[in-house]
Amino acid sequence: MSAPVSETATAALHEPDAPVEQPRGGRTPWWANQRIGLLILVVALGALFGILRPAFFNQQLVVFPLLRDIAMFTVVGLAQMCVLSIGHMNLAVGRMAAFSMMITGISYDLWHFSLYAGLLVGLIAGTAIGALAGWVIARTGVNSFVVTLALDFLLLGLIPLVYTGLTDNAAFVTKPEGMREMRNYSLADICIGNVCGSPAVPQLALFAVIAMVVVGWIYSRTKLGRELLMTGTSVKAAELSGIPTARRVITAHAMSGCLAALAGFMLAVSTGSIKATIGEEFMLPSFLGPILGGTLLAGGFISVWGTMLGTALTSVIRKGLDLLGVGLESLNIYLGLILLVALSTDRVRTVLSDRQGVRER
Amino acid sequence: MTLFEAFEVDKLFPGVRALDGVTLKLEAGSVHALLGENGAGKSTLIKVITGLYKPDGGRLLLDGQEVHFGSPHESASAGIGVVHQERNLIPGFTVGENILLQKLPTSRGLVDRGRVRSEAARWLAELDLDIDPDLPVTELSVAQAQLVEIAKALSVESRVLLLDEPTASITPNEAERLFRVVEKLKNDGRSVLFVSHKLEEVFQICDTVTVLRDGSSVLESGALADLTRDQVVDLMVGRVHEALTLPPRTVGDAAPLLELSGVGTASGHAEVDLTVRPGEIVGLYGLVGAGRSELAKALLGLDRITAGEVRVRGQAVRIRNVRDALKNHKIGYVTENRKEEGVFLEQSVARNIAVTVWDRLLKRLGRIPGLSYVPKKTESELVAGYVEQLGIRIASPEQLAGTLSGGNQQKVSLAKWLAAKTEILIIDEPTVGIDVRTKDAFHTLIWDLAANGLAILLITSDLPEMITLADRVVVMRDHRVRGEVTNTHDYDTMSQQVIRLIHAGTTAAA
Repeated sequence: MSAPVSETATAALHEPDAPVEQPRGGRTPWWANQRIGLLILVVALGALFGILRPAFFNQQLVVFPLLRDIAMFTVVGLAQMCVLSIGHMNLAVGRMAAFSMMITGISYDLWHFSLYAGLLVGLIAGTAIGALAGWVIARTGVNSFVVTLALDFLLLGLIPLVYTGLTDNAAFVTKPEGMREMRNYSLADICIGNVCGSPAVPQLALFAVIAMVVVGWIYSRTKLGRELLMTGTSVKAAELSGIPTARRVITAHAMSGCLAALAGFMLAVSTGSIKATIGEEFMLPSFLGPILGGTLLAGGFISVWGTMLGTALTSVIRKGLDLLGVGLESLNIYLGLILLVALSTDRVRTVLSDRQGVRER
Repeated sequence: MTLFEAFEVDKLFPGVRALDGVTLKLEAGSVHALLGENGAGKSTLIKVITGLYKPDGGRLLLDGQEVHFGSPHESASAGIGVVHQERNLIPGFTVGENILLQKLPTSRGLVDRGRVRSEAARWLAELDLDIDPDLPVTELSVAQAQLVEIAKALSVESRVLLLDEPTASITPNEAERLFRVVEKLKNDGRSVLFVSHKLEEVFQICDTVTVLRDGSSVLESGALADLTRDQVVDLMVGRVHEALTLPPRTVGDAAPLLELSGVGTASGHAEVDLTVRPGEIVGLYGLVGAGRSELAKALLGLDRITAGEVRVRGQAVRIRNVRDALKNHKIGYVTENRKEEGVFLEQSVARNIAVTVWDRLLKRLGRIPGLSYVPKKTESELVAGYVEQLGIRIASPEQLAGTLSGGNQQKVSLAKWLAAKTEILIIDEPTVGIDVRTKDAFHTLIWDLAANGLAILLITSDLPEMITLADRVVVMRDHRVRGEVTNTHDYDTMSQQVIRLIHAGTTAAA
């Protein structure tokens, strides 16, 4: 007995001959699933580039750095996805990474922290700066676009100032033990008995896997994740259902800051230096992955897999065109065109499936 | 003369035949009603006519010529105007710009403001509306916005006008105004399709009627003059509709669960006294704008209480927000604004129902403190229980709530408060836009909740509903309680008493 409703009410509510509701939303045809479309596209493009340039499959020179890129930008994408889930944006995603790495750099340089202790400090700094953005948004009610844009400018000025005060070349020179190794380690360096992993898969990618598992678990299984999505769908309805929406806004931005810090760390490790310009190229790709992957800009729906696949698609295109000898300017033109086509075929699919009366998700 | 005809139209959705050979004829100079219960296919038919859906069979004929509409734009240019249930005005624009949006008059590529004003004024005059075309639409009342939408629909020179539930959110007086406009359109030789759940209105303004049931037309172009209300209801529900009889229910003299004394709020309430005992349904009646929903929201901490005292279970309380009301006081609020505040349209039915109880379902992950998750199985069992109990018709609990009919959405909106095991339930306009049979089911349900000891504060503008359900009726006007009547459940005497209370003192106040 889940509520005090008697037999009579139950009977009255069950009309055997009541009109059948259009059973929509539950049954989406497979071709309307964005993730499967993306997966096919990534595999097909990978195969195409491999046929045109067999060097595309070179493990050390191409696949390894490609996977390292995908891993890092997936984390960047997840950082943006967290705020998109509540219908917000984080324009300071790159600068939050830079800020966190600045703190990490200070911890290595001045306090002689170990590699992982420095990472932890960075994650805490990222979480804090994200939470601050969220707090300002929740308190003032100003649009997240404006608040994070302002924060971005603030950090843009602050970070180089700190660097010039503390370092000689706008980069921290102290490298903790293990940082250089982490850059080049692949799964081949992890062996269980005689079986070793593939040399094509960088160990750095493990950070992305961990981030995906944790974020995926939060959104699919926990109360927090559900409350974030409900807030993203309708703040009013969420408030009237007893969800602490202001706190959820802060949480989403804190998660975003934390993931931005992780991405910043991955970039610092793979380039081998902690400098003020970390994260400069994060902002636009941070939107590409989630949106290609089906995360709604308006909030309320996310896809961790989609974010990874969307990121993979852009990275594969970039790398493939690069190998085909396309110059940087033309590369961006092609990239833009391919993304436009990808997004519009997706839109066509949505419209087609809506025409059939099914609802994409 | 037949202006427009949908002839034997079929529309298939995966697994369901939403329209099955439906024929609808719209005559010039006539108002035609389209009736049917939620899910009968009314909205689907309108979407087919306006080109939003492509029919899977049958033909659409305009002036006897077969037409194919690929989009709402095409149907609009062919002269079919539609006013949807949802508001479709653009907030930042003026009345004039909104009316002429589909073809803004321009000169050398720029919007010609003078012509916008004069042409919009012409359409407003055509409808005898005294609204300034330069007014931003945000300053319009709901009813005015509705009329402006009609002007907008007419501005494309439409001869066929589809009105989907135009009176769902306006007061009776405003509805009268709308009907005069419909009458005028009819006399001008246009054809109007009127979709409504309010049969009184249908009989008042419509000439002919088509009734849909389960996707087929069970009555095609019947003359309303030859039909009675009961006959129409029987056609809609497909069986003889019996008047609702509720089992007897007595309210004990237990101490009140909810008590308000001398409450004033920031939105202007003053000296509001109110008590609700366990097992009692107290009706809060008044016209739109009397401050009833605002009072409910103040009780939930969404507005500031500036004076007086609120007592829950005898204890004076200060409720900070809905979460506080729910967790600490077991108070629930079923909002009147179902689509925006009651239901998460873009989320699954399961999440919509479980949203209030995740706290209770949480399971610890291992032995790590603070790390817990919502077990899927327990959640879906709980949801399935309420889906079953309330008879929510869904294909799967993962179905998006936005794809349900209004009645089923309302059940979902209520289910989350039942799931949360609230003891005090404030129910605001529970049956707006809901068909006859589902309405009866709701009334039985609310009655039953009270019989099982819930204290219910029922806010409704539907007088028959109030007289069916309430034990006492508290009448509110201008944010003050104007009096209280013990319900005799006799419609005639009760309606007189209540209406007298509403009007008492208005002349003095004016």
